[in-house]
Amino acid sequence: MKRAALLQVLQATLVTAIILWSLGPIIVGLLTSFSTETDVRSVPPIWVPPNPSLTAYQELFQGTGAASTIGGTTTQEGAFGRSVWNSVTLTTVSTIGILLVAICAAYAFTRLRFNGNKVFYWALLATMIIPVFTIVVTLFQLMASAHLIDTTVGISLVLIATQTPLATWQFHNQLRDLSPEPEQAALIDGCTRWQAFVRVVIPQMSSGIAAVSAILMLAVWGEFLIPLLLTSTLRSKPVTVLITEFIGKYTTNYPLLAAAGIIALLPPAIVVLVLNRRIRGMLSGAS
Amino acid sequence: MPPVAMQTTTVEEAKLGWKMVIPVILFATILILYPLTRGLLSSFQADRSLTGGRVKWVGLRNYSEVLQDPATRAAFLHSVQYTLTAVILEVALGLVIAVTLHRAFRGRGVILAILILPWALPSVVSGVLWRRIFDPDNGLLNDFLLRVHLINLPQVWLANEFWGRTFITVVHVWGVLPLICLIFLAGLQGIPEEVYNASAVDGAGPLRQFRFITFPLLKPAVSVALTVGTILSISIFDEIYVLNGTALNTRSIVMQVYTVTFKEADFAHGTALALIVAVITAAFATLYILSLRRAAA
Repeated sequence: MKRAALLQVLQATLVTAIILWSLGPIIVGLLTSFSTETDVRSVPPIWVPPNPSLTAYQELFQGTGAASTIGGTTTQEGAFGRSVWNSVTLTTVSTIGILLVAICAAYAFTRLRFNGNKVFYWALLATMIIPVFTIVVTLFQLMASAHLIDTTVGISLVLIATQTPLATWQFHNQLRDLSPEPEQAALIDGCTRWQAFVRVVIPQMSSGIAAVSAILMLAVWGEFLIPLLLTSTLRSKPVTVLITEFIGKYTTNYPLLAAAGIIALLPPAIVVLVLNRRIRGMLSGAS
Repeated sequence: MPPVAMQTTTVEEAKLGWKMVIPVILFATILILYPLTRGLLSSFQADRSLTGGRVKWVGLRNYSEVLQDPATRAAFLHSVQYTLTAVILEVALGLVIAVTLHRAFRGRGVILAILILPWALPSVVSGVLWRRIFDPDNGLLNDFLLRVHLINLPQVWLANEFWGRTFITVVHVWGVLPLICLIFLAGLQGIPEEVYNASAVDGAGPLRQFRFITFPLLKPAVSVALTVGTILSISIFDEIYVLNGTALNTRSIVMQVYTVTFKEADFAHGTALALIVAVITAAFATLYILSLRRAAA
């Protein structure tokens, strides 16, 4: 019995450690975002701001102005808001695009017989190992000749190309495990293949589609390298790229940087908390 | 006539199949395979800005030159260190966390939700959150270590030859560990409870149970975790970019590709190096698929 009590104490300690480890940096970020630069700069630094202030958030959206350039970081009014908007549209457009392309492809690869079916499927999966660096200079030239440099549509097209293989694989796995009977029943009832796909198979896949969409939204929202290379102005720059510009070369306005980080982490945090079970199921099943 | 009808369905099925895969084939061909081919070709050519725009084939010279660059060699070693440290930490901590959270207890769902939060955040944001902790002047880590008298002077951690890479690994592990835990939790779910009950009857304690039941049966999950961890740490970039930029002491192999290609605007050498990294990644990806198959079997 003593041993059981000991185990319980051990478990409680470990659970506390897990919570601290997972939330610690986020809490530090929250505290920093409500601090003033004076708090952050005092020696020793003040961890918990005595007078929580919204200055950092205000500066983030309304601009820092010339007065507070001591932090080495400045931002213009509306710049951050614009980048959040760019991220929202990029995530929406890309996720919908990937879903459309991947669901169709996965259905065809799994359920339809045609020449080259297997070859194309494996070739598609093989593209996943190609590092973005090997293709990105040519992508830049392609986008430039199509006048898609620094546009949300341009980045979305690239993200559809790079993210579709993984999504197709996940949908393929899901379709393979789904019963084909409802679809066959629909075909016997006189539906065409396409009608059966739209009316029967897609509704059957709905929980998988929700999980994959969530994972895609997180992936696109967090995308950094491709937008870093394919954007140049606030016309299409997403929040992950703009945020790195808040890091000063010599000194950094930490409250401003932290406030930007907190806002950038809210959408993914909400998605992962709301769709927690589904995302966990997808991740442990598919990986 | 049934045979004719069958025939048309098959033809129609094939037609529909083609129509449904054409979008993905177009995307992959135009935006991946075409650029890849161009990249591959340019890795065997001299930089065009040096030849006045003419194509000059140089065989494997770009490859040998980029591999002789001391910065590339250092970056390779750094990436090996990132990978080894990250994977060891991920598997060790992942096992402890998964075993802790495996059995049902009150609040388990909430803890699991908190656990995967760091994985969901953009890695750029992870870097941003950790940055103030490592800051040399106003950093929380320095403040803490000074208070407990482990150091006498504030340290510039990220510029340190050893601690720079180690702390960047910590930030990387913070984001990847949840995924590894989920892989282990799924593996643990596959071990039937009766095995534990039977061994408890035979007098096995929790440590012996872990040594002789949990660990052997979890081996397939461990090999999946090892390969996932390796692939993710080979491509480590965002965290380094945010925490230390292109600084030499923390430069990973992918950061070296970025520096050569974009900072030095040397596409030929950069692409050659990127293709070398691709081959290494492909080797681990093959291992990953094999380990997945074994885990499923």
